Formats: sequence, structure tokens, C-alpha cells
Amino acid sequence: MGLLLVAAPVLLMVWLIMWPIISAIIGTFWLEGADGGRRFSLESYAFFFSDRYSLDNLYITLWTTVVTAALLLAICLPIAIYLRFAKGALPAYVQGLAIFPMFVPSIILAYAFIRTIGPNGTVDILLNAVGLPKIRSPYLTPWGPVIGLVWDHIPLTVLILLSGLGSVSTQSVDAARDVGAGRLEVFWYIILPRIGNSILVALSFAVLGIFSAFTLPYVLGPAAPEMMGPFMQRTFRDVGDPLAATTQAVIAFGFCILFGIFYVRSVAKNRGGAN
Amino acid sequence: MKRRELLLAGAAAAGATLLPRVAFAEANRIDVYTSSDANITDFWANSIIPGFQSANPGLTVNWVDAGDGSGLLAIAERAMAAMQTNKDPQSDFYESFDAHLPVGGIEAGLWTDFTKANLSNYSKVNPLAIQTPFGLPYRGSQVLLAYDTTKLPVEDAPKTWDDLVAWIKANPGQFVYNRPDKGGSGGNFVRRAIHQVNGKDPSKFTTSNFTPEFGEQTLTPAWALLNELAPSLYEGGAYTSGNTQSIQLLSQSVVTMVPVWSDQILQAIDQGVLPDTTGLVQLTDLALCGDFSRATIPVNAANHEAALKLADYLLTEEVQSAILTELGGFPGVSWDYVSDELRKKFADIVPQSIPTFPGGDWEKAINDGWYRNVAPNIDRNA
Repeated sequence: MGLLLVAAPVLLMVWLIMWPIISAIIGTFWLEGADGGRRFSLESYAFFFSDRYSLDNLYITLWTTVVTAALLLAICLPIAIYLRFAKGALPAYVQGLAIFPMFVPSIILAYAFIRTIGPNGTVDILLNAVGLPKIRSPYLTPWGPVIGLVWDHIPLTVLILLSGLGSVSTQSVDAARDVGAGRLEVFWYIILPRIGNSILVALSFAVLGIFSAFTLPYVLGPAAPEMMGPFMQRTFRDVGDPLAATTQAVIAFGFCILFGIFYVRSVAKNRGGAN
Repeated sequence: MKRRELLLAGAAAAGATLLPRVAFAEANRIDVYTSSDANITDFWANSIIPGFQSANPGLTVNWVDAGDGSGLLAIAERAMAAMQTNKDPQSDFYESFDAHLPVGGIEAGLWTDFTKANLSNYSKVNPLAIQTPFGLPYRGSQVLLAYDTTKLPVEDAPKTWDDLVAWIKANPGQFVYNRPDKGGSGGNFVRRAIHQVNGKDPSKFTTSNFTPEFGEQTLTPAWALLNELAPSLYEGGAYTSGNTQSIQLLSQSVVTMVPVWSDQILQAIDQGVLPDTTGLVQLTDLALCGDFSRATIPVNAANHEAALKLADYLLTEEVQSAILTELGGFPGVSWDYVSDELRKKFADIVPQSIPTFPGGDWEKAINDGWYRNVAPNIDRNA
């Protein structure tokens, strides 16, 4: 009975997700020759990994992912801990503010970003008003997408961390305080061990989202190196080279699957623990 | 058992809604595909579509944005495939498309020959604008240079390519153009550089003469020229991701000069996005590229008759005057068919010459070549 209930979504997933992935992977290894026959070849991958331009794009994507994920954690963990332990009316407003980016489409965010911290934007105008020099704008540099992506991913990360913090009981924190633990010790010995899983899940989600990001890197980032999202789209549509685009997609998928495995393992571990 | 049947039926129904639906063209609804910018969409939505629909009761226009040139090409390829299998192409009208594409389309008889379509207004079309009988030139625009006259006096504005290069180098950080595949203003600036290193001879490039070797030979010096400019551009070689973003940087007074489409800039000035102190200049040694937008109609369009009516309507004085006054483009009909008053008022943007650059393989080679050779701010020899 249970199997029947999940059959429809599973079939749908196999049809719309698994099959395209498998056919894409096969298609990049079994190349169509001039005579119409198919042969096994690694040349599409050999080109990618020997092409300086493609590799630069891969590096910038990895760099953006690592930097954005680190910043996300540094920003969202304090917010989540504050929301978990603070009392009164203020946390509700803070939570509202933290969730707000979820409701802003990224294309609108991108243009608002240009107006705010772009060149001669609001921040520059304010700085200028008090006699300070202009900021060096991150617009059209690799930092542009980083700032946009961090803003975009705050809600999901905060929510996941917050749900993880639910498993930290107030009593255990109080007990630690009673025996003289400081703030840092409470965080390190009481809170962190219990939310390790949530951090991993939050990071996996963030990483998957960042790796495949398109709009923000496209509008805010530099022309080159491009992140994999815009690079794939351009290779597919402008250059008209579906094989190279699919190869790029399979390589991106390979990196994402590593984080997917982290996520699945952490979920499986949780399940096992619950039983 | 009943519960099980119910679940099965439910799952089947849920699955059915997710199956791709077979789409058919609707009768009397002209499916117009475009890849033009928002100003063209606004112009159609506010002027052409209401005007056409009130002149032709019973016909409606369905405006579909195909995104960019490659998106529109994909729709045209679908029409071509549909013709070979006698299916409905699901597109009736291409707002601006190169009839030479998809390759072999003209030979296969995909596009309607406007000279034989009995359009009452076809004789008014500017003969200079006609490239092929399969494309109907109904509006034109050209890339020019827009600049801030408060920073660069009108009399000092560069008028030739060499002056422009000298000015860019003398004023580092004050010029930006967009990535050539993301908008025609930057795209045609890049093409002007290609013309420059190839004897300023636009006739050297045709739709059919692209070969990788000829491309390599003609484009490589252009990349060197553009790379030489890069350190003097905004942020030492940053490129905006579209026509609009370039105008945004000019309006925020970040840069002094950008290449722009004539229709877009005139509209931006008209709407107050840019101040009246914005100056416009065209290079006189060889103008930046521009082109007429040519509408095409597939012969197998489900609403072929209605699409021809729309084509004829585009050439009426009503629409052609609106192209000047509302859009800031130039008309597809000869200037004899435009009122005297408008002719005098818009003398500035009446082009003396409109160099063009072919699309297709050239476009791919230029776009990808630029990304690989000009965009990266890295020492290629390192």
C-alpha cells in the first residue's frame, strides 16, 4: 500500500529527473560520429579539462560556492541562535526580516542591488553625504554574485538551523550555565554537537543552490570567468553546442552529488538514530 | 479494494495533468514571436496591437517573447520541421528575424515571399532596406554613442574610430559596452572593431562566407584591438550584461559614454531616464552597425491570411509615424511616405549609411571568440 502511494512521485522522478540525467551522461560518452554511428569517447571531457577557459569557469564556481557557504554560515548561525533563545516581541520581527528574501525574485534583487551598492548607488550617495569616499563596488566582480547569493539563501539556511536548534533543550543550556560555562563554552560543548547535522543539511542545500545559480551571477557577475550556470546556458544557446553544454552539466552534477551524498547520509543517520 | 481503485484513479489523474499538453494554434489568433527588447514589447502592446485589433475585428495578436536570437531561431527551426511533416508550426509571425535562417529555409520554401503576397503597402518600403523578398523591413535602428555632455562637451565628442579609441584611453574607466551576445549595442560595438581591422569594409562578411579559417583570420586582430582597450574601460575591463545595464551606468553617471541603440536611447531621454544633457554621436568614418528589423511569415502558418494583414498594417502611415514618434526608430518605408513635419524633426537620426553584419555562424564565432579572448582579464601568455 505504502509503495503504491509513492509510486506516482517515484515514476515521475525517474521520468523527469533520473532518465534525463542518465541519458545526458551516456550522451557525453557515446558520441555520434560523422557516419551516424556511435562510439565511446572521452574527448568532450578531455576538452573541458584541458581548456583553460572552461577550467577558470569551474574554479570561479567552486570559489563562489565555498565563499558563499562560509559567509552564509557565519551570518545565519548567530541569527538562528538569537531566534532560538531570545524572548519577547523583537525576535518575531527579526525572523520576519530574515525570511523576507524568500519572497523577493532574484531578478528584482539583482537590479535593486545595482542601485544600492552598485557604482554611484544609494550607499555611495550616503557615504558621500557624510564626506566619506565611495565604496569599491562589487558589481561586475566575482563578489557581486557572492553578496546576492548570500542574501538570497539566508531564509532557507536560517530555517533549517532553527529547526535543528529545536533539539537543544533550554534545560541543558541552563544546566551548563549553572556549572559556570561561558557563552562560548555553551556554544561549543552544548549547542554545536546537537546541530551538526542541521549545519550539514543547511550547507548541502545552500551549496546545491549556489552551484546551479543563474540569474545573480548572470546580472551581477563579471563577463569572464562565468559561473557554470550562465556558462552552460551560453554554450547551449549561443554557441549551439549541446554536447559541450551537457558535458559541463555532468561535471557540475558530479560536484553537486558529493554534497547530495552528505545530505542523504546525514538523513539516513538521523533515521537510524530515531529507530 | 475500493480504496485501492480510488488511489489508482487518483494517481492516474494526477499523472495526466503533468503530461505535456499538445498545443494547437488558435484560429484568428496571430502568434507573433519576438526576441526584441522591452521597448519594442511596450510599443506593440500600446500601439500596434490595439490599432490592428480595432481595424480588424475578430483577429487577435498573441505576443510571445522568445528571449533572444537563439530562442527565436529555435522557434523558426520548429516551423521548418513542422513544414517537413505537415504539422502546425504554432507560430504565424516573426517580429524581427533573419530570413536566411534556419539554413536552407528559403530553399525549402519556408518563408512567405512578400513581393508576391499582394500587400497594398509593399511598394512603399524603402528599397535600401530590402535585402531579401522574404523579410519585410518595418522599422530600423542603429547603434550610436551616447555621452554625458556635462562631462564631455559636444564639440569634443569623438567622430571617428581613432578619435574614439584615443578618447577612451585618455579617460580610463569612462566607457563601457555590454557583452556582445547580451545586447546589440555592445554586439555592434564589437562588430565595429571587426570592421576597423578589416579595412572598414562591411561587404567582406556575408551570411554564407563564414569558415573557421576566415573567421580566425578576420576576428583575431579585432580581439587584439579590443584587448588593448580593456584596461581603459570601466573597472579596467568590466562588461555589462545588457543594453539596459549600460544605460543604467550612464544614468548613474558612472561612465561618460556607452554605445546604445538609437530607439532605446531616444525613448530613455524622452521618459526622463536620461537627462536632456545626453549627447548622441555617430562615427563618420564608418558608422556603427544597425539594421532594419525584418518581419517574416512562415508559409505554413495556421493564420497565414491574418499574418499578412498584420504585415500590411505595419507599413501604414499610422504605424510608420508612430515608429518615429513613439519608438524613436526609423521607418521601414521610404521617407516620401512620412509627413514633412516628422521628416524635419527627426533629421538627426536619419541614417546616412547603415553598415550591417550577417548573423548565423558569424554571430556564434564572434560571441564565443569574444568570451574566450576578450572577456577574461588574464594574461593569456601566463
